[in-house]
Amino acid sequence: MTEFLQTSIFALATAGVIAVSAVGLTLSYGVTRFINFAYGEFLTMGAFFTLILAGAGLPLVPAAIVAVLLVGLAGVLIARIFYDPLMSRGPFPLLITSVGVAFILQNLLRMFYGSDPKRFPVPLMRPWHIGNLFFPKAQVGILLVSLGTMLAVHLLLRRTMVGKMMRAASDNEMLARVSGVDTRRIINITWFISSLIAGLGGVLLAITQVAIQPAMGWSFLLVIFAATLLGGIGRPYGAMLGAIIIGVGMEFGTAYIAANYTYAFAFAILVVVLLFRPQGIMGGIT
Amino acid sequence: MTVEWIPFLTLLGTLALIYSLLALGLNLHYGYTGLLNFGHVAFFAAGAFASALATLPPPGSAAYQELGARYQIGFGWPLPVGMALAAVAGGALALLIGATSVRLTSHYLAIATFAMAEIFHSFLSNEEWLTQGVYGISVVPQPLKGTVIPVSQYPYFYLLFTAITVFALLFLTQRLTESPFGRVLRGVREDELAARSLGKNTPRVKLQAFTLGGALAGIAGSLWVHFIGAVHVGQFVPLITFQVWLAVLMGGAGNNLGVVFGAFILVAFRESTRFLNNIPLLDRFTAANPTFVPSLRFVIIGLLLVAIIRFFPDGVLPERHRKAIGTRQDRRLS
Repeated sequence: MTEFLQTSIFALATAGVIAVSAVGLTLSYGVTRFINFAYGEFLTMGAFFTLILAGAGLPLVPAAIVAVLLVGLAGVLIARIFYDPLMSRGPFPLLITSVGVAFILQNLLRMFYGSDPKRFPVPLMRPWHIGNLFFPKAQVGILLVSLGTMLAVHLLLRRTMVGKMMRAASDNEMLARVSGVDTRRIINITWFISSLIAGLGGVLLAITQVAIQPAMGWSFLLVIFAATLLGGIGRPYGAMLGAIIIGVGMEFGTAYIAANYTYAFAFAILVVVLLFRPQGIMGGIT
Repeated sequence: MTVEWIPFLTLLGTLALIYSLLALGLNLHYGYTGLLNFGHVAFFAAGAFASALATLPPPGSAAYQELGARYQIGFGWPLPVGMALAAVAGGALALLIGATSVRLTSHYLAIATFAMAEIFHSFLSNEEWLTQGVYGISVVPQPLKGTVIPVSQYPYFYLLFTAITVFALLFLTQRLTESPFGRVLRGVREDELAARSLGKNTPRVKLQAFTLGGALAGIAGSLWVHFIGAVHVGQFVPLITFQVWLAVLMGGAGNNLGVVFGAFILVAFRESTRFLNNIPLLDRFTAANPTFVPSLRFVIIGLLLVAIIRFFPDGVLPERHRKAIGTRQDRRLS
């Protein structure tokens, strides 16, 4: 029982990281309608920018905030350069282009920073103990940040005009445009928010799961895809639900079935979803 | 650094021929049938391991003792058996993956194949009894080397052997794609619904194309593993899949000669980037960071992918226009 509860704590933190990342991906799919294979690199950039700014003397939290905003801007810039000119040509050219962009970003980082794994200068913290369970502070912090992000996305989509326009553009771009929504602006805003959230996901990922290196986001990409598709692509609330299932599946699969196959559990869930319910739980948009 | 041109060109030619075979396989998938396969490297890996394990001397035998290596499976069969098994392994894996996912459309198929290749990779990394995990097997037999063919001449012999194999398979592939079967493949690509309403069993046709392409990639794995003489899972990364994509798109999807040409451009480019170390200004960076040049190579490969899709979506040798199809609308790129 203790082991079960302990695994649950880690599963929730993992789910939090996945949820943040998956919500960002699904938001951009909603408006642009293609699956961005370069999305993982935005996580990587979030972690690297934070590391660089922290190395330049900023404390970790402000460094992360500035880094995440920078990733948002980079996302808009990259979308304008690489994706916008292809928007009218359907999903395939965009798919291949996003793979190309992933190669470019990942290897630019490797060119200048090498492949050696790096870590944030986080001090070693004692976990809190409650009974037989321990709660590492980093995991708890991640859970809180993830919940905060989910709430922020919820409020953005439901309570603000921008969110309303994003939902309108996602449901029916043509109709949104004739109703006076400036869809170009909405697409830019969506890229900004989506990339920003990805950057945040990367910072969280680097705190809990993996060392910081140029391939970290690319290796995590399929886990994000799994959560996104499981929930129903383009559905932010579905992505959150999908993330919980994937996070729990990964941690419990690792704890109880086979320790070396952590990511493979997520991929297996992904494949099962694609085969039996490709539209996902919430019914993805096409 | 002076360049030994003949050995360099021999290496380049052999690698380019092996990539040509990979490209021919992917061309059957994407170029002819329109299937977005993002997991091609898995078939390559399956073939490489199948051929290596088939030809390695059995553990416990005298030859095994002599090699001083450690691995747990080896059958000591001759190379042709290894190659045949590589084709079977690549084809069977493709059949397995295809049977579950080939009915998925466009980007869902891309993600499913990508994910299944990763699962396969995860399997190969973890099942050490089969693959020796991260250590790999470094004593894969190179038939006739040192016995019939002198070691110094072996690269030229192997180039010739690879060339004969690849051109034979190119010929067979071309026969296949120009046959009525090839026409059905193109029909599925252009308009699956139309092909189905003409009575074609399109899921089955797609599966056949997928399996055949996988088998070609499996044979490429066999050629590659005996060329390198070593095999380990770390070699089979998604990067390979997308390099083959670049070769196919650059050469001209739907044109067998085109994709072979594309593979030659790709490999020639990739292998010549090693000379970047000799450029005066760059060497300052490369001295400080050993990953600089290899990374730059893949930045450029990424840029090429982006540029080809944007500016030359039909490649260098575009698919031949076929009058019989009538008003041809290319659904893949429009």
